Amino acid sequence: MAFFEQHIHDKPTTFLSKYIISYDHKVIAKQFLWYGIAFLGLGGMMAIMIRWALAYPGVPFPVIGQFMFPATDGVIPPDTYAMLFTMHGTIMIFYAITPILIGCFGNFCIPLMIGARDMVFPTANMLSFWFAVLSAAILVFSLFTPLGAAAGGWTSYPTLSTFIGSPGVGQTLWCLAIFVLGASSTMGAVNYITTIITLRAPGMGYFDMPLTIWGLWLTAILNAIFLPVLGAGVLLLIFDRVFGTTFFLAGAAATSGSGDPVLFQHVFWIFGHPEVYILILPAWGIVSDLLSFFARKPAFGAKATALAMTSITVLSTLVYGHHMFTTQMSPLLTQTFMTLTMTISIPSAIFFANWLGTIWKGSIRFTSPMLFSLGVVFVFGLGGLTGLYLGTVTTDLYLHDTYFVVGHFHYTMAASVLLGGFAGIYFWMPKMFGSLMNEFWAKVHFWITMFGLNGVFFGMMIVGYGGMHRRLYNPFVYDYLQNLIPINTFITMSAIVMGAGQIIFVINFVHAVFFKDEDVGDNPWEVGTLEWTVPSPTPHYNFKEIPVVKCGPHEFGNPALPEGRDFQFQTEEIAKA
Amino acid sequence: MMLLDLFFAKAYAQSGTQAISLWERMQPPLDISENGHLIDWLFAYTTAMNIFFFFFVCLGIFGFSYLYSAKRHPKAYYTYGNKKMHILIATAIGLSVFIAVDMNITRISNNDYMNVFANFPDEKEEDVFKVQVMAQQWAWNFRYAGSDGVFNTDDDIITLNDLRLPVGKKIVFQIISKDVIHSFYLPNARLKVDAIPGRITRMWVQLNKAGNYDIACAEMCGTYHYRMQAYLTVYNEEDFAYWLAEAQGSAEIENDLDNPDLYWGWKWQTQK
Repeated sequence: MAFFEQHIHDKPTTFLSKYIISYDHKVIAKQFLWYGIAFLGLGGMMAIMIRWALAYPGVPFPVIGQFMFPATDGVIPPDTYAMLFTMHGTIMIFYAITPILIGCFGNFCIPLMIGARDMVFPTANMLSFWFAVLSAAILVFSLFTPLGAAAGGWTSYPTLSTFIGSPGVGQTLWCLAIFVLGASSTMGAVNYITTIITLRAPGMGYFDMPLTIWGLWLTAILNAIFLPVLGAGVLLLIFDRVFGTTFFLAGAAATSGSGDPVLFQHVFWIFGHPEVYILILPAWGIVSDLLSFFARKPAFGAKATALAMTSITVLSTLVYGHHMFTTQMSPLLTQTFMTLTMTISIPSAIFFANWLGTIWKGSIRFTSPMLFSLGVVFVFGLGGLTGLYLGTVTTDLYLHDTYFVVGHFHYTMAASVLLGGFAGIYFWMPKMFGSLMNEFWAKVHFWITMFGLNGVFFGMMIVGYGGMHRRLYNPFVYDYLQNLIPINTFITMSAIVMGAGQIIFVINFVHAVFFKDEDVGDNPWEVGTLEWTVPSPTPHYNFKEIPVVKCGPHEFGNPALPEGRDFQFQTEEIAKA
Repeated sequence: MMLLDLFFAKAYAQSGTQAISLWERMQPPLDISENGHLIDWLFAYTTAMNIFFFFFVCLGIFGFSYLYSAKRHPKAYYTYGNKKMHILIATAIGLSVFIAVDMNITRISNNDYMNVFANFPDEKEEDVFKVQVMAQQWAWNFRYAGSDGVFNTDDDIITLNDLRLPVGKKIVFQIISKDVIHSFYLPNARLKVDAIPGRITRMWVQLNKAGNYDIACAEMCGTYHYRMQAYLTVYNEEDFAYWLAEAQGSAEIENDLDNPDLYWGWKWQTQK
């Protein structure tokens, strides 16, 4: 259903046009991947430092502590600690997960999986990456300003984030970085939506799209609607900080103004709750596809999965109030948001049933992408179910702002998304870089990550139920938290193990990208979606001829297929006995 | 599990705290309120339900992985999962989770919230003990009405980070913040409510165990957020009356009437 001709342009020849200012969606995807992995490393390092402070308060951070905090003899000081968790949250959400899951897979998979030569708006695509770089530069620069970077938490609630709580320029730069990043993501989102609507190969209906594309599409829609809301919120915050307006200041003794700090929370969470789904939807899509690809069986109830994801997308926009139960909203609003939150479990349970239905009676190949996908099913099960405690208002009164919340959202936003991202990287590696990663080390990486993250995040839920609240520099000044010291030590050790395990991934990845010279063939995983019909690595303009789609993306194990073959390409007529 | 226990045995031998089992460590702090058990019960109920359903998820993941690995089951069953039976089962799973867990806990939680936690005692009918709380970076200010029963007058008892309450009485707090958003967190009563500049939030609680406990700030409020700790002392009735009389006496002597900082309180906002 192409509305216009897709021309084949000349291949770029100079280094600058090939790798830097590239309009090619595949190169932009790789740029986003490197960018995301770099920030994942930085954010992960910050996480280790946070965990170190929590398990060993007052003990110098090993090795680099002496260089970073000479004033305190290597001990992380409390103000730096606040910057660390603020930057950890911001970096992981906006600068690691978003570029990898949405920037990289969105750019790479969308044109290839729907049979297009490139995105609809290649210039906007290129700008989207360079805006993201600009935003990252602002954020990193803010670390070196006097008084340091933003330290009000990634939610940066006023009035803490106004000049009353954070006089430094770091918080203003944080707002600016988020605003620029919002522009970048919105450009990307508009591009994705348009590309999926206009450039699907002839014959490809919406339900013939792989579920990965469904996930990315729904994500892009949420992004395009809600990132501007966050942009507006941080812009007002910048006004409050720089121009002396009082949108978020209200009149007690130290502050004065006719605004309302709770207003920001509304604006933030109208964006913030969909943001959770913005991050997880691509991972759900990837997992739904990979489970079918490696169980060698059509995705169970693929249409229902797509519709369930769609209804979650709609519901996710209506439930944000459950983040604000303790601000004492009107009880009517509390009841409404609680009930709406609970309805999300219907579509979630349906696609969970479909995931398990997909591997039921399959013929499962336990490759690394499959292991990571099964890992997502496991950790998202835990993450989703623990959300129930926080959606019900009375348990939330106790658990709100404790480590239980931290454990819960790391299970959904960090663990599931990270495992989904790894699954995707291992899976599309041959199409991106023309080589496969080492399977053995990939599996080692999986098991270390799996045990590590469960140790960390389950431990967090335990200390949260024990009453330990969030964002504490030293929780053990409280008597009632003394019992939790060994559990905190255990969490930190798990985190260090998990962090060290990622080195395996980095080595494996770098080795496969730069030092491996092998011919993996066009289709090493024996999968029938469109990107596997072209050579690996993908040539400059993807498809010599725009393919014509004749069947769905999950055609596996059809008994009518000839002997020795258990899948068919989307370009082939469905086999009939 | 044994390995974990061993690990913790070692860790707390080093940390020097008394030896208790991992299970005891995982318990929430002592519940000292009349209604905290509602929250604990709902937590336990949700946990039981979650374990039940997560058991099936694990059964699916591990069971199917075992039964249908390519080695054991080389030929996959060709189905789109769109037969009537398949749709029925998926829908049944969705609805059973929704009805057994979600609707149940929503109903229970809603009843608890509307009938107990958000159902403030009627101040005209009942004998209610009133306290005003003002949060600031990084301390808690408490104000008792004093002998005239009116807030923000000369005889108010004012304390810093030191809240003393009687057992058995219904206590209503009105809470405000002076600078940034804080959150008034009573872990032993399973309750918290935000302290917000420019608006008064409320909380009520009824305590039943005398002793010394912690009060914390649960909302990030700046560098020394972790130090924003106050002490809660719960007295039985006689002890409380004794303390109150003593505090009243010293307040009347010590309150500096010319200090404008004395009058941070407000007129009690009667609702209902």
